[in-house]
Amino acid sequence: MPLTTGALDISVAELAIASLFIAFAGAISLWSRIGLGKSIFIGAARCVLQLTIMGYVLSFIFGIASAWVVLLLFCIMVAFAVRIVRGNVSEKSIPFVLPSFISMLFVYAVVTSIVTGLIVGARPFWHPQYFIPMAGMVAGNSMTALGLSLDRLLSDLKAKRDLVEMQLCLGATPVEASQDIFRDALKAGMIPSINALAGVGIVFLPGMMTGQILSGEDPVLAIRYQIVVMFMLVASTALTVSMVLGIVRQRCFGPGMQLLLRRPDRPQ
Amino acid sequence: MEGKEQNSNIKMNYQIPCFQFHDVSFAWPGKRVILERQNFIVPQGAFVLIHGPSGTGKSTILRLMNRLEEVDSGKISFLGQNLTHWNPCELRQQAAYLQQIPAIPDLSIRDILLQPFFFRVNKEKAKPPDQNLLKLLAKVKMNDVRLDDPGAVLSGGQRQRLSLLRTLLTGPKAMLLDEPTSSLDSESKGYVHELLEDLNRQGTTIVLITHDTFSPKKVPVVEITIDQGRVFLCR
Repeated sequence: MPLTTGALDISVAELAIASLFIAFAGAISLWSRIGLGKSIFIGAARCVLQLTIMGYVLSFIFGIASAWVVLLLFCIMVAFAVRIVRGNVSEKSIPFVLPSFISMLFVYAVVTSIVTGLIVGARPFWHPQYFIPMAGMVAGNSMTALGLSLDRLLSDLKAKRDLVEMQLCLGATPVEASQDIFRDALKAGMIPSINALAGVGIVFLPGMMTGQILSGEDPVLAIRYQIVVMFMLVASTALTVSMVLGIVRQRCFGPGMQLLLRRPDRPQ
Repeated sequence: MEGKEQNSNIKMNYQIPCFQFHDVSFAWPGKRVILERQNFIVPQGAFVLIHGPSGTGKSTILRLMNRLEEVDSGKISFLGQNLTHWNPCELRQQAAYLQQIPAIPDLSIRDILLQPFFFRVNKEKAKPPDQNLLKLLAKVKMNDVRLDDPGAVLSGGQRQRLSLLRTLLTGPKAMLLDEPTSSLDSESKGYVHELLEDLNRQGTTIVLITHDTFSPKKVPVVEITIDQGRVFLCR
């Protein structure tokens, strides 16, 4: 069967049919009394609203093609990613928002620029048609990993406080005393990306590749793009998570190399 | 030092005290005051016993001396130098603090004992050979354990003794011990107390929190209690 050129149109009526899926999820929530109905409908409304706005924003940005506007949108995307990460981390006593924002901005910019400028060959490298979707994928993927890793690091430092302090008492530096906890946290963030590498093409077909195929692109080219994206996601996750974890770990210890995180039940 | 005897100076045998508290205040945020502008001295080579009811802040004082907590005001000196001027790793190696419930990692008994030598601050030091480790274990009545045994199988009392040995292996100048015999039977307590007296005779300053009626016989002892933010000298 030949490929269609361009994706088939979806009318508003067809969109309405798709929204039945949300109704199903809401019905299951009601039936099982898990109280997620409100969250499902608010989430769905946000999804429609945010994507609609993004559609108009992207059309506008593609139209004016200004590097500054691309940079501004990129900063906004990272800021929202940090906000979501903050919401996913239960420990709030250690400030990590600013270091996370700066690290994410730096890593995402470098990785995305390498992909668009060097591998894809977009000219200029910040061409919004390439830069924004690529940056979005990087941010979305490593945001989840970062949330997982940070939550693991902070909760483990708190729960294993005695073990960390014991090592500090024996003369360990904060890095030495928290080495195992740091590694576990880094692994927790990295494993989903590595699992995705192993499962892609067999267990699931990623969204970008599917999108390209739906819009009539040659599947071989779509696969090449997807390989680049998968590798880019692993690298950006590893870089962002290790960088932010390193900074946040440092902030968990005071000037006297004492652990600042305290279990609420035990002030001493 | 304030208190029952209003004795402002413990007689020192040495010019530079091991620890000196200068107007030290400390309180847990939103909670009770542990120390309020307290001055006292721990002379070098002293054997100090800290008594007092639970919750008065005895452990906190040891944590302040080891810089696991920071004073709110005033300063603490160790061997004549403000704690803040010490490299914290070096300070904790010289003034070793043993927690009340010491954590034991999932390692062999040999590796638990040699744990301090894995850290950068002790990397240059020679690790004691197995025969020395076995001799030390025998001193605290742990002759029946093997160095290759996993630490996880040890009882609470054995863990406490093992942690004490781990703390003294790098030869600290002072040992800050938070109830190191709380899980021990009376016979084992006797072995540990004897070991501490031996160490003290060799020049190690000992600061010991205890609820036992232990009183070292062969070494001079300073006894203090802490209550309502004040340190009292008992003898």
